[in-house]
Parts: sequence; C-alpha cells; structure tokens
Amino acid sequence: MELFSEYFKKEHMLSKVDARVKILVSLAVLSMVLSYKGFALPLLVTILCLFLCIKIRIPLRVFILRFSEPVFIALVIVLIKFLFSGKEIIFSISLPTSHFSLFTLTGHRDGLMDGLFIACRIIGAVSVVAALGFSTPFTEIMAGLSWFKIPKSFIEILMFAYRYIFVFLEDAFVIYNAQKNRLGYSSIKRGLNSFGTLTGSLVIKAFEHSQNTTTAMIQRGYDGNMPLLRHKPFKSSELILSFLFLIAMGVVWKI
Amino acid sequence: MKIQNSSRISRDKIQSFFKRLFTVHCSLFTLFLLFTDTAHAMHISEGILPSNWAAFWFAIAIPFVAFGLYRLKKLSNADLSFKPLVGLMAAIVFVISCMPIPVPTAGTCSHPAGTGISGILVGPAISILVTAVALLIQALFLAHGGLSTWGADIVSMGIMGSFAGYLTFRGLRALKANLWIAGFMAGILADWATYTTTSIELASGIRGDSPFMPLFWKILIAFLPTQLPLGILEGAMTAGMVVLLYKKRPDLLVKMKVLKPEEAL
Repeated sequence: MELFSEYFKKEHMLSKVDARVKILVSLAVLSMVLSYKGFALPLLVTILCLFLCIKIRIPLRVFILRFSEPVFIALVIVLIKFLFSGKEIIFSISLPTSHFSLFTLTGHRDGLMDGLFIACRIIGAVSVVAALGFSTPFTEIMAGLSWFKIPKSFIEILMFAYRYIFVFLEDAFVIYNAQKNRLGYSSIKRGLNSFGTLTGSLVIKAFEHSQNTTTAMIQRGYDGNMPLLRHKPFKSSELILSFLFLIAMGVVWKI
Repeated sequence: MKIQNSSRISRDKIQSFFKRLFTVHCSLFTLFLLFTDTAHAMHISEGILPSNWAAFWFAIAIPFVAFGLYRLKKLSNADLSFKPLVGLMAAIVFVISCMPIPVPTAGTCSHPAGTGISGILVGPAISILVTAVALLIQALFLAHGGLSTWGADIVSMGIMGSFAGYLTFRGLRALKANLWIAGFMAGILADWATYTTTSIELASGIRGDSPFMPLFWKILIAFLPTQLPLGILEGAMTAGMVVLLYKKRPDLLVKMKVLKPEEAL
C-alpha cells in the first residue's frame, strides 16, 4: 500500500500548494499533451515531472512500479503500429520460409513514427497524473474535486471506497493465504472454487461493514451527507506562478 | 560437386536464418501477449487516446454516471446504509481487479474486471458508478487506466460490463437457469463485452489514417489467448460468489433483489 501517496514524505516543495491549483495545472498540461502533434511537449513534460518526482523523494521502486505498465503498453503500441499499420514499407518477410509462407511480417516507417508519437504521448500524460498523485494526498484531491462542482455523492463514495480498499486488501490476503495453506489453489478447479469463495466472502464482509459503518456514523450525527475539507482562499503567488508556467507550456504547445 | 556443396551450405544458412527469424518473431509475439497481459488489459492507459476520442467516450459515459448518481440519491434517501454499501462495492471491484489470476495459455497472470458481480448485485446503473469510482482511484494512484481515458474505461468496463452481466443474469434466471449457470454466463459475457469494447476503443483511438476494421480484428485476436480463458475464469468466480451468497446469506440476495423471497427459502 506504499503505492498510495499518504505513505510518502509529507513535507516537500509541493505539499503546501493548493490541491485545486495542482489539479487545474495538471488538467491543463494533460490536455496540451493529448492535443499536441509532435514529440517535444510530451518529452519536456516527462522530464519536468521526473525531476519533480525526484525532488519530492519518491522511492525508486514505487516509481518504477508506477511506470512499468504504461511503458509496456507504449512498447506494445509501437509494435502494433510498426507491424500492422502504415504505407511506407521498410521490410517484408514471408514466414516461416519464403517458399512456404504462412503469413508476411511487414515493418512500416510511418507506422513506427505514429507508434513512437503515441508512446511519447502516453509517457507524457502518465507523468502528469503520476506527479499529481505523488504530490497530493487523497483527501486533498477529494476536497479539490468538490470545488470543481463534482457531485458530492460521488466524492462521498470515493471516500468510502478509499477507506475500505485497505481493509478489503488485508481481508483478501488473509483469506487467500488461508486457502493457499489448505491447498485451495493446488489445481485449476480448486483454484476457481477458492477464488469464487474469496470474492463471495469479500461481498459478505462489504455488506456487514456497510451496516456497522452506517450505525457508527449515525451515532456521530450522520444524516446522509459527509463533511469535506473546507477551501481556503487561493494564494495569489501560486496562481501567478501557475499561470506563468502554463503560458510557457502553451508556447511550446503552439510551436 | 562444389556447386552442389555451396548450394547446400547456402540453403542451410537460409534455413537457419529463417529459424532464427521465426524464433525472434515467436519471442516478440510472446512478449506482446505478456505485455498486454501484465499491463492490465482491461484498462486503456493514460494518453493512448487522442483528445477527440477521449472527449467522445466521456460524452457517452457522463449520462450513464449521472443516471447512476440519480439512482444512488433516490436509494440512499430510503436507506442510509446504501451509500456506504456502494462505496464498499467500489472497494471490492478495486480489490478484485488488482487480483492476479493465472492464465494458462499465456503462461502468465491477468486480472478479472469484477463488473459482472457488481452489475448482478446492485444493478447496472449503480454498478457503472461503482466502476467509475474504482477506475478513478486506480488512475490517480496506481496508473491503471488514466484520467483522459476514464470515459473510455467507464464505457468498456462500467457500461458494457455491467449491462452484459446484469442482462445475462436476469435473462437466464427468467429462463429458469440455476444460480451457478446464470452467474457463470454473466461473468463470461461481462468480461468478453468489456474486452470487445476495449478493442473497439483502442482501434479507433490509435488507427490514425489506417482503416478501422483490420486493426480492430488484429487487436481482438491479440487479446484472444488471454481474454478467452480469463472470461471463463471470471465466469467461475462470479458463479462461485453468487452460490456462496445463496448458501451463507440468502437474505442479502433478497435485499438486493437478486432473488425473490420465496427462492431464498
């Protein structure tokens, strides 16, 4: 669970910055990266976000884990575009032999460029969201989202879910280990049965927890609405710096 | 004689070259499967879709999420514990979609979607909301899926998965199928509906100037070795969950209107 931001160093250069400003800047940069036709902006954004993550001392293992999936996906996209999409052919090989051809493997120059372009976009976009996630605690992001007029019910469910993810992960691993110790995963059939039982047990626990939580919350005055963090007024220095940063990014985007 | 020898040597060289090439290609294909697999194939990663396609999938997803919120408000007014329950269901979908399941054909692990289960238990409208919440937490804190692809992921996992699971389960129960069969088929079809929609979203998003259909089929076929068995695994998991609930807590199935009171006896 160290993947979640609460477990990282809490005092860093971005911890004092208003979550609403961070969300606004992240969304603006994300939309620039997505709509940009080229390599420069995504690469620049990636470098900036990597620098930021190093500055706020994100553990290397967590960092690699966070980026492993997007990097793999980016590689797959490059492969798909290179081999299956495009018009300018670099090479074409009949397989398994030229005399007996089952299928033809074709590499495309424009496909490769398209693939690399999408890969850059993926890494750039993931860097922005990772930097936001690493630098902002969950509760602050939730409070920030409420300022954006995201429906309160949605935010409340997000908070319930986030609170109980840790409980269920622990429960799931306890049940899983107990099943494994009793050879619950020794064959495919037993594994399937065990996994179904595990899921069912979690659902039963969810019902029980929801009842208990509601009772406890009603005793503390819950009337169907949960209080969220209050918003402080914006700091003008943060707004000006963010605006200048976005203008600089906008210039690169326009070029 | 010399000519015969030299032609045999060159033929051997060509054969060994193609053998090596074939091995390299097989390795590449295995890596391809491995990557799509370990990469949580159900989620479309951040940045894959260009802005116009990301906006298009958001436009489809938003009305469904809004309807889910409307249903939630209505139901939670009647029962205060409903909102915490929906939040806890979202936590379960999150946990289930983080669970590695071995996929024998690919020799590696993938993960179930879990939307079939929530579709059966809380209905498709609330299930879409549940999925949206789980996907947002995964996008923000685990880089599974993304903010820009949130709409697309809600459409594939939330809308298609939930409706496929719910309609299959209800349809089969109406045809008097037993709980295990109905749960099994609901899990399978929820998974396959999700992966077919993901393939459509991926192909439309990355095709560029290429035609849509050939790329769609290629992506669909590339997912096939993992998603076919994974769908069956998800079906067995969903069936196991429904049967366990029926045995241990039939009152919950009645409360969620999965069973009629007389069926729970």
